[in-house]
Amino acid sequence: MSRKFLETESPAWVTEGLITEAQRERLLARYPSDAVQAVGLLPLLGSILVGLSALSVVAANWQSLPTQLRLGLLLGSLVAAYAGGEYFLRRGNRRVGHGLIGLGLVLFGAGIILTSQLYQLVGYDVSGLLAWVVVGVLLSYLYESQTLILLPIVIGAAVQTYCTQALGLFSYATMGLVALGSGYRWWRRPDTLMASVLAAGLLWQAALWVALSHSKITWFFIPAMLVYAAGDWHRDRAAGRALQGPPLVAAYLFALGLALFGETDQYAGLLRPPVLAYLGALAVVFAFSVAGKRQQSRLASLPDWLLLLPGFYLPGGLPLAIATLVVLYVHAGSVLARAHRSGEAEQLTLGTVLFIIATMVAYFKLTWAFLDKSLFFLIGGVLLLSLSWYLRRRNASRLAAGVALAAGGSALIPPPTSPPEPLP
Amino acid sequence: MPTRHTPSHRLLVRLLVAAQVLYVLGVAGAGYATTAYGQHIWLATAPVELHSLQYESFVRLRYTAAEVPLTAWRGPTPPQRRQAVYVLLNTGPDSLATVAGVYDKTLNPNPRQAVLRGWVTEVYNRTLGLRYNLERYYVPGDSPLRLGKTSPAVRVRVSIAPWGQARIERVELLKKPTAAR
Repeated sequence: MSRKFLETESPAWVTEGLITEAQRERLLARYPSDAVQAVGLLPLLGSILVGLSALSVVAANWQSLPTQLRLGLLLGSLVAAYAGGEYFLRRGNRRVGHGLIGLGLVLFGAGIILTSQLYQLVGYDVSGLLAWVVVGVLLSYLYESQTLILLPIVIGAAVQTYCTQALGLFSYATMGLVALGSGYRWWRRPDTLMASVLAAGLLWQAALWVALSHSKITWFFIPAMLVYAAGDWHRDRAAGRALQGPPLVAAYLFALGLALFGETDQYAGLLRPPVLAYLGALAVVFAFSVAGKRQQSRLASLPDWLLLLPGFYLPGGLPLAIATLVVLYVHAGSVLARAHRSGEAEQLTLGTVLFIIATMVAYFKLTWAFLDKSLFFLIGGVLLLSLSWYLRRRNASRLAAGVALAAGGSALIPPPTSPPEPLP
Repeated sequence: MPTRHTPSHRLLVRLLVAAQVLYVLGVAGAGYATTAYGQHIWLATAPVELHSLQYESFVRLRYTAAEVPLTAWRGPTPPQRRQAVYVLLNTGPDSLATVAGVYDKTLNPNPRQAVLRGWVTEVYNRTLGLRYNLERYYVPGDSPLRLGKTSPAVRVRVSIAPWGQARIERVELLKKPTAAR
């Protein structure tokens, strides 16, 4: 709650008798004015400027400095960052403390890179930078800080990118360290932001693997859905869903691409891995996911897997596009149905958007060839307007019913599910 | 897992920081050891463009060994872009190294040969583009390259460690700096 909000609203609360004048003053005292906080930022800005000036002096003269001095500067700033971080943590300033320790970790990576550069040294595998990922993962266990949890995931993605692009090999160790190290850290202390970043980082590495090995891009979904399945097994529903976000977005975009471009057999041909191997691997991941859903009683989210139906094995052309469209519709419908049952506003919006996208794709796909252009846009616009009006009305009535239910039964425990309504 | 300031936590942090310092020192040590225990070869390059030195701290070296005829390829399958390769070089005591062959797997060279690792950048009709990751030379402050104004001809001294790392030891002007100017 902002100070400004309190200042403008609280006199009305006093006149309405919600709180007394004394309570109002105590509330105001609890949230100090923003001006004080802004002044508190000045030393930070000042020290950043001083630090930048020192950095530019060193960077400008870097090549002229003696080797030992350069090495000493690297190691000195590394140790100073960690020591400063520990100092601020002991004094209770967690934000600065964790920031400095994160800086120490970044300086370690810079130290490895700049020292190799100092000796014009070339390594032919990732072992030099692997130590960076190892230290990052270890630090994320030693401190309770979101920055330090996110850093090893980002560093792992960067190291893997360097490794595949510059050295032409995939570092399974980096992938394993991030997946197991950061993954276990998330498993023990779930966090939604970390879950999404972790999933996105792992997906990035999986994509690099696919690109490097010249495999069919559909193989990407085996590791991606493995990440998804891990989310099914987690006891914390929100954290699990956050981990499943990036794989689902990837799968949805893929299905959308198939609906849009799947007609050309050439594109579909790029997607067809050996049937038995791919379907076998996908079935294993699917079984793993279903087992997790059953264990945590979340079988309602099973229709997510519709997006993974391997429609690309169908012959290219209109049948493939239409089959994919049907899948997109059924998926959007399943999201809407789930949202109506649970009454979550965000899920309702998501389902509505997915439904509209599917309709748009279907319309563009199927009627462009048969209609005059102006008529095409007119009908499309009317179709979308009426669809959005209908879905909005349903959402509004659904949410209003939910609110009324919650208000009416606030003293009682609300029933776990309301009777499902017929689908649109 | 919350941050605790117990003695064991502090000890772990100190050990971890010490390990990082040792690791960076280890990288520096590998640099020294590559020169001390490595095999030394001379590589020829095209004349160096010094213009980039006005904006950056390094120059690009274009090795003559970076483009080899396709006939030098010794692999069972045709070379592919980004593939890691082993380049066999014929060396003399004080002469420039020449490419004897490009292999897709490790090999044991004669005493008068050296193996430098690299990557295929491009496969052309008749030639093969190679990259050694030694293309960037960070010019030290006291290097004669910093005095030159035109594109001097140079040769590059490279050390190859028995464990596979390589480094540029130094870059020498072929003519006297006065002549280069």
